Amino acid sequence: MTRYIIQRLIYMVITMFLIATLTFFLMKFLPGTPLSAADKLSDEQQAVVLEKYGLNDPVPVQYFNYMVNLAQGDLGISFQFDNREVTTIIMERIGPSVQLGFQAMIIGTIIGMLLGLVSAIYHNGIMDYTSTFLAVLGQSIPSFVFAGLLQFYIGVKFGWLPVALWEGWEYTILPTISLAIFPIAIAARFMRTEMLEVMGSDYIVTARAKGVNKVGVVFKHGLRNALIPLITVLGPLAVGLMTGTLVIENIFAVPGIGEQFVKAINMNDFPIIMGTTLLIAFLFIFIILVIDLLYGVIDPRIRLAEGE
Amino acid sequence: MDNHKPSKDLFVPVETTESENEKITRPSLSFWQDSFIRLRKNAGAMIGLAVLIVLGLMAAFGPYMNDYGQYEQDLSRAKMPPKVEGLGWLGMDGTLSDVQSADTLEDAQTKALMRFNNQEEFITTEVLNDGSNGEQAEVRATYDVYGAKDMDENFWFGTDGLGRDQWSRTWMGTRVSLYIALLAAAIDMVIGVAYGGISAYYGGRVDNYMQRFIEILVGIPNLVLIILMILILEPGIMSITIALAISGWISMARIVRGQILKLKNQEFVLASRTLGAKDGRILQRHLIPNTLGLIIINTMFSIPSAIFFEAFLSFIGLGLPTPMASLGTLIDAGFDSLQIYPHILLFPAIIISLIMIAFNVLADGLRDAFDPKMRE
Amino acid sequence: MKKTNWLLLVLALVLSMFLAACSGGSDDTSNSTDDADSEETTETEDTSGEEGEASGEQVLNITDSAEIPTMDASLATDAVAFQWLGSTTDGLYRLGENAQPEPGIAKDHEVSEDGLTWTFNLREDAVWSNGDPVTANDFVYAWQRAVNPDTGSEYGPYMMGGVIKNAQAVVDGDVPVEELGVTADGDYTLVVELEKPVPYFESLTTFGTFLPLNQAFVEEHGDQYALEADTLLSNGPFVLTEWNHGEGWTLEKNQDYWDAENVQLETINVKVVKETSTAVNLYDTGEIDRTGLSAEFVDQYRTSDEFKVEEEPVLFYLKMNQENEVLGNVNARKAIQMVIDRQSMVDVILNNGSIPSVGHVPQNFTKHPETEEDFRELNGDLIETNVEQAKELWATAKEELGMDTVELGYLGGDSEVAMNMDAYIKDQLEQLEGLTVNVQSVPFKERLQRDENMEYDIQNSGWGPDYIDPNTFLNMFVTDGGNNKTGYSSEEYDGLIEKANTELAQEPVERFETFLEAEKILIQDDAVLAPLYQRAVAQLWKPYVKGVITQPMGPDYTYKYAYIEGK
Repeated sequence: MTRYIIQRLIYMVITMFLIATLTFFLMKFLPGTPLSAADKLSDEQQAVVLEKYGLNDPVPVQYFNYMVNLAQGDLGISFQFDNREVTTIIMERIGPSVQLGFQAMIIGTIIGMLLGLVSAIYHNGIMDYTSTFLAVLGQSIPSFVFAGLLQFYIGVKFGWLPVALWEGWEYTILPTISLAIFPIAIAARFMRTEMLEVMGSDYIVTARAKGVNKVGVVFKHGLRNALIPLITVLGPLAVGLMTGTLVIENIFAVPGIGEQFVKAINMNDFPIIMGTTLLIAFLFIFIILVIDLLYGVIDPRIRLAEGE
Repeated sequence: MDNHKPSKDLFVPVETTESENEKITRPSLSFWQDSFIRLRKNAGAMIGLAVLIVLGLMAAFGPYMNDYGQYEQDLSRAKMPPKVEGLGWLGMDGTLSDVQSADTLEDAQTKALMRFNNQEEFITTEVLNDGSNGEQAEVRATYDVYGAKDMDENFWFGTDGLGRDQWSRTWMGTRVSLYIALLAAAIDMVIGVAYGGISAYYGGRVDNYMQRFIEILVGIPNLVLIILMILILEPGIMSITIALAISGWISMARIVRGQILKLKNQEFVLASRTLGAKDGRILQRHLIPNTLGLIIINTMFSIPSAIFFEAFLSFIGLGLPTPMASLGTLIDAGFDSLQIYPHILLFPAIIISLIMIAFNVLADGLRDAFDPKMRE
Repeated sequence: MKKTNWLLLVLALVLSMFLAACSGGSDDTSNSTDDADSEETTETEDTSGEEGEASGEQVLNITDSAEIPTMDASLATDAVAFQWLGSTTDGLYRLGENAQPEPGIAKDHEVSEDGLTWTFNLREDAVWSNGDPVTANDFVYAWQRAVNPDTGSEYGPYMMGGVIKNAQAVVDGDVPVEELGVTADGDYTLVVELEKPVPYFESLTTFGTFLPLNQAFVEEHGDQYALEADTLLSNGPFVLTEWNHGEGWTLEKNQDYWDAENVQLETINVKVVKETSTAVNLYDTGEIDRTGLSAEFVDQYRTSDEFKVEEEPVLFYLKMNQENEVLGNVNARKAIQMVIDRQSMVDVILNNGSIPSVGHVPQNFTKHPETEEDFRELNGDLIETNVEQAKELWATAKEELGMDTVELGYLGGDSEVAMNMDAYIKDQLEQLEGLTVNVQSVPFKERLQRDENMEYDIQNSGWGPDYIDPNTFLNMFVTDGGNNKTGYSSEEYDGLIEKANTELAQEPVERFETFLEAEKILIQDDAVLAPLYQRAVAQLWKPYVKGVITQPMGPDYTYKYAYIEGK
């Protein structure tokens, strides 16, 4: 096992290196320069400014310099926020996104799994239809519509919670709910399907025949079965939510990283794009590794390592 | 306790003959026939199918049911509320209303009239609070837009910000979105399932490399790829298709892989392999069918994601060229006026939800129907 | 200012808006000098009858559309940065009411007869927030830094090149930075030498790039300068005391400000809010004191007492690439000018008080130096909407070109109304028989690139002024001008602009009349552009906010004289 993990960590470094390289060169094809007043400056004036950021060097030289700095943990300075370190900017912005994403995942997973469980137990009953209906609604209406409605009704009409801004825990409630709707739908649907699968299987029938009560059986035996697809979907979703969502952050005026990233792409702020990409890619790869390892824990029959 | 022992007289052996013993009482059905029979018995699935057919027919013929074209602009009739004769009780009576408050009743009345340009003959006001209890006076004004604009014909779903008929646009948009839905499903089913299945079944080095490739695809920001595509591709259905094909199948591949990793060491697979089944057959006949439930559920999530991905692409200029509509772009556009003209968002949202509910119910039915364990 | 950065506008609806200022803002300066030691008190005594009294907590809560990109005056390029630089730093002059420059650090100035040497006399009581006096050297240092290639400033070369003596040569690295035409004569006299007479130089000195910098402080902090609230110095009405990047920032009154007695506001809280609906909801719940409104919200709030519309000198127009065979034909361009119904467009799609534009200089922007008549009024409507005539012109054009059907690309904008606007313009243009318009929407940077390389047929474009002079709009379209990019080249037009900026630079009346003539050529005779609209913004302002002045250039708002009354 240890050997397998070490091997995966080595692959992780290689994959990260490939992602960094690919992203770097892809970005060089993005149109325009990072200058915000480029249309006003003559070519000579532009060249003078670009010199400061080392953007006049040939691309391979830029790539080499970037990689050398990266290896030393230096992500460079931002173009749009002059002289500010990319690392500092990411650290400032990642906090709110992680908090919202984490809260939404916890709530979403718990509520979703309960809904799915109820659906499965009362298969084709009214509870099943209700919870399926809710889950489908959650997956078909985009979260920004829910966010807009929540903000207007809960925030403005009833005045129960703050409308927007980022000034304390109560400010996280509405964005968390908006973000949680999708994980709820996913968890509910996958939970239901897997539970139904399990409930038809021989060992559950046996357990029930032995008189163990319905809910107990389903929970004890069914959960393990449902876990593999659940972590497969929810893992990457968690990374996605915790690394920021543009629209929800904008609607609730959350100073998160999602908005920052999109703006960086629009402004050709290469160092921020690279830094954020590397962070998100790292988290994805890490979570995929964790999920692969968890497969073996959940179901010991699963073997991933080569040659085993 | 002894007296509870049933008497042997209660049991009489069944008279069976050798021939009857071997007789098949149930008609012989193939897997597909059997599945189809079970699907037909599933009321929910049938309703879902019916709804989809109706929506499909509306998408095909809806735009021709009135005289307005989907691109026909007329700013003088922008943002008309929906009006359908006989459906006034549903709020589709062609009026707008708004509550105005002021310190005195008179002021509130004036403001209520001003809200709709003082066209008094088409405004009815209703006093909600005359202000005598020390609170602000509140007046609700209801404005008959159709009367004021002297409009004889009705817009069933209202009009958008450019006075285009929302009914025509919604059904034209449904066409695009249904195409996207089918496309996303197909990409998931073909690329996603095959990729995940092969990766998991062969495992080891194959799995390792195939999964690292997925990691790279996930790692490079979608937005960067898409902006690069804008430089190469003309906006349109083709670019949407390509964009979806690049990244639309990853989650499916991961799920199928996870599930097959779990299944491939189970007894029935071993049994099949011992009996000499080839890899392809094991995958197709044993592993994939047992993953079908998850595949269907995940496809159901890919569809709305794809529909809104398309809307996003259109927004940044890679999707449908202006002024074409899809349900996604209509919802995006309607969101801006959610608080004031909710009808612009409402109808596309209802239709997309109907599509999704119908697909889901049908998919659940399909899952039950194709589930080998559910065979009677 | 800049070619209107569309992307920021999208993100930034809330901020980019102006407010109908209260009446007596500038009266404050003259009237309240009698209570010289009232720095601590917010209740300034006021003698003018129309002035309200500041009362209650002097706190203003507002939103901005984006994080401040930089607080370094040399590096600032966008509206957000200039807004907060302007609120915390005084330059030689600052823009007061009606966009008139009023004394800042400079008390007054003399201009040499040839218009090339400007001598500014600085006040001696101005200090930085660390106690250092503000001296002429701070300006010399700041301006030299702005054009120094090592700084990497974008606006330095753009604003100073060709204006201040040797600026371009310094940018190009031909002469050392010390050769820049700005010198300190003692601590309180600043001498500026210009390349050529620049009639609008006074209004230029209010611009963010020309703000002073404290050399010792800037050099002490090196590349950390202006990154956080505590690595910043202020010499203006407010000090940036808290800066939570991405979330918001807080400004407090600068007690050491030379004109502190006229500053009544104690605190300005700014939050970054990008969505209009969010800002409106925050406004409705009383969290903020001002919000911008989109077209939909205007319908709802038009009757409100708090509803204000402010016109801006920002123009939007269609640029037509004359290298395109069809658009090279003047009749085709005239047809495009005339076919668009601009009144319905501003009434329904924009719905925010914007007005149809009929030339290439906005209304209420510059006045005739003698008669005080508005530029727009003097030149009148240079185009009108006339679909029939447009169709005739179009037919003529097609005949001249020998074409029956024409296909043109239309590079759309990306404002919050872009979708509707693009669809509308396509629809309007296609009234011309045989014309097919293909809408292309591309990301902001790609748009700039296509403009730069002239890879477009028709383009929706916008422009706001860099200084208060018709030249900022009209010199764009001289042959090979950096912002021309239409392929337009007219000796006559070039001659007029050249003349206005050289031999007539000292003759305000003739100069103004030359610009009038140039605009006619540009729009009426040569139909280089199809004007669309002059932007206005619709906003809600809490009635207790008084004295905020809106500006046509530089910082959007002046908060120096703002106060809260009866919240």
